[in-house]
Amino acid sequence: MVLGNYKQVIAARSTDAEILRGSQDGGIVTQLFAYALDAGIIDGAIVAGPSDEPFKPEPMVATTREELLASRGTRYSISPNMSLIKEVTRSYGLDKVGVVGTPCQIQALRKGQLYPVGLRDVPDKIALAIGIFCMENFPYQSIIQLVEDHGATALENVSKLDIGKGKFWIYTERGATVQIPLKVTHKYEQPGCHVCLDYVSNLADISTGSVGTPDGWSTVFVRSANGDDIWAKAIAAGAFETKPIDSVKPGIELVTKLATEKITKNQQYIEDRKTKFTVGKELRNPYI
Amino acid sequence: MSKVVEISPTTRHEGHSKLVLKVNDDGIVERGDWLSITPVRGIEKLAIGKTMEQVPKIASRVCGICPIAHTLAATEAMEASIGCEIPEDAYLLRMMLQCANRIHSHALHNILTLPDMYLPGTDSKINPFTPEEPVRSVAKRIQTLRMVGQTIGEIVGGEAIHPSNPRVGGMYKNLTPRARAKVLDLAKMGLPLAREHMEFMIAILRNYQKRDWAEVGGKEIPIPKDLGYHNQGYMAADPVYGSSSLDEIPGWFPERWTEVRPWDWYMGEEEITLEDPSYPVGGTTKAGTKAWPQMEACTGVPLYDGQPVEVGPRARLVQFKNYDEKGAIGLQIARQMEYMDCFYKIIEAADALDCSAPVIADEIPQGDGSIGWAANEAPRGCDVHLAKVRNGKVEYFSMLVPTTWNFPTCSRALVGAPWQLTEVIMRAYDPCVSCATHMIVLDEDKRLVAEKLLE
Repeated sequence: MVLGNYKQVIAARSTDAEILRGSQDGGIVTQLFAYALDAGIIDGAIVAGPSDEPFKPEPMVATTREELLASRGTRYSISPNMSLIKEVTRSYGLDKVGVVGTPCQIQALRKGQLYPVGLRDVPDKIALAIGIFCMENFPYQSIIQLVEDHGATALENVSKLDIGKGKFWIYTERGATVQIPLKVTHKYEQPGCHVCLDYVSNLADISTGSVGTPDGWSTVFVRSANGDDIWAKAIAAGAFETKPIDSVKPGIELVTKLATEKITKNQQYIEDRKTKFTVGKELRNPYI
Repeated sequence: MSKVVEISPTTRHEGHSKLVLKVNDDGIVERGDWLSITPVRGIEKLAIGKTMEQVPKIASRVCGICPIAHTLAATEAMEASIGCEIPEDAYLLRMMLQCANRIHSHALHNILTLPDMYLPGTDSKINPFTPEEPVRSVAKRIQTLRMVGQTIGEIVGGEAIHPSNPRVGGMYKNLTPRARAKVLDLAKMGLPLAREHMEFMIAILRNYQKRDWAEVGGKEIPIPKDLGYHNQGYMAADPVYGSSSLDEIPGWFPERWTEVRPWDWYMGEEEITLEDPSYPVGGTTKAGTKAWPQMEACTGVPLYDGQPVEVGPRARLVQFKNYDEKGAIGLQIARQMEYMDCFYKIIEAADALDCSAPVIADEIPQGDGSIGWAANEAPRGCDVHLAKVRNGKVEYFSMLVPTTWNFPTCSRALVGAPWQLTEVIMRAYDPCVSCATHMIVLDEDKRLVAEKLLE
């Protein structure tokens, strides 16, 4: 159950060379939204768009392919996508909203749909929720520290950041590669990530991430009936190239292993909050 | 020998009020007091010292049916005090919000009115809850009109109930072209429905005017031809939107306004001597109960030229379109006649809107304590807010809300009606009692008030 409920899991990548050029992995999120926009499944999507500062994401409502392309790539920093969840149905005037988010953001979305506190007319306007795998996140200041200090690289020269194979990777425009051991990054993590029990966006319609598939490909979980329907249409439209997950390395075993590690570690932290940090009192547990 | 009968609480309007009625032997009202018994929440007092951004958001919570009126009047009172001119496109958004709110409010009031009315040519009253035709499709049409009003309000105002988009200096957000298209689609969908509905409502109301009696609690009560007539004046600042002290030609005149206490206006202590347990549903107040309108009324009594005035749809039509029909039903008909204008104004404003234009003033002064006022033509009439802002903080805040103006006027209009029909007269004013209930301003001397305003 560490991977949540799903109907199918596959290795996939976009068939669109332009999307793949700037995408983090298989271009799944960008391609799915671009397809859904074309097909009228969504009118627009809340994505992590670019901002004035390099690798600092800013939530954005994308209603065109150009805007979707501009938001490609992982920014390992906080992007409060849910801050637009109501506005998108107001001054943006959308009726069918796409949302991409980390597991916690998809949780917020589903909670908002079931318990819409101050979210009038939001629950019925969510047309497609795409979740991304997430081990942990960093405040923007942490990214500056990691790249500029530990990586000795100017952030504005960076073309891509990646966490994989036990390393934090920095790729620059001019072709240099820097790797930082993950051990170094731990103290820069956002503390709130340490109580998170979701690795592969269990509550999304479709979730995707890099772990389990080779570079340039993504692991895709198709979860809900809605997700299944949209995925089938996208495949039929030729939007994706797919492979059975069993046929790729390292495959679903690694996803399961990492998910189990994350959940076990954070479950322990939640337990510790009962006793370890105070005398005779507990720190609050949002899960009870 | 006159008797006193009390209907408490009154129903099918917003808020909590009652009718204390002195009637003659035939049950005809000789003097009627309609008064708010909603607890005073004291918005005006607690506004003092708060920021000018915050107060309109608090004032909005006075009422959930017409929060747009209070948000806009309060925001614009702040803007009038600090001398801030908002951009044209912000005004267009506010205009759309205003009209959308009026559509939903009038449609909601139809639901409250219809149970008093008869299906033309029959002796059966209209129950909006019935699944039977023709009432079912009327109820659905009302729901659609309200949906259109609320959705447009939500898009342009950020939220249908307590709009989040207005701010001191303009609006937070302009619309995207898609949102503007959605507003236009909704308005154009609502337009024919509104016309159909207006005609239906007017037919129903005209039928009531032709009737000789109405059934109340199993009895046939004669309907007088002059039901709800009064000789008070009318007050309206604008046919649709409003006016403020920033205007070159203002539509409202603070020097003509005074306010007195309920003590000076309402009846003294009375004992209830007439009781009717068959008054639907649950009867009237028990005989022997004491009522003291002077003490119990929770509103101030605002006067214009020293007299109570009527505000609302009819006041707007009288002031700007020479409407001349008197009485409770005349007022109801005027309300229906406002539907179309709301839709046309929304379409006009949406057409004129530039989606890429700024909607916030370049500079927002912080205020030097000058007085400013803004009148918003709320669904129920002229809603005037007055404010003094210094260094971004509110020093003085006062709200003169439509139903506050109508309370004493409507009380006058009760005279001559059978007491069983007084609620029909009251409902014609579309009362919003929680709107009306606010801090009492103890200014008894007219000159003193005028001086205070000119400071």
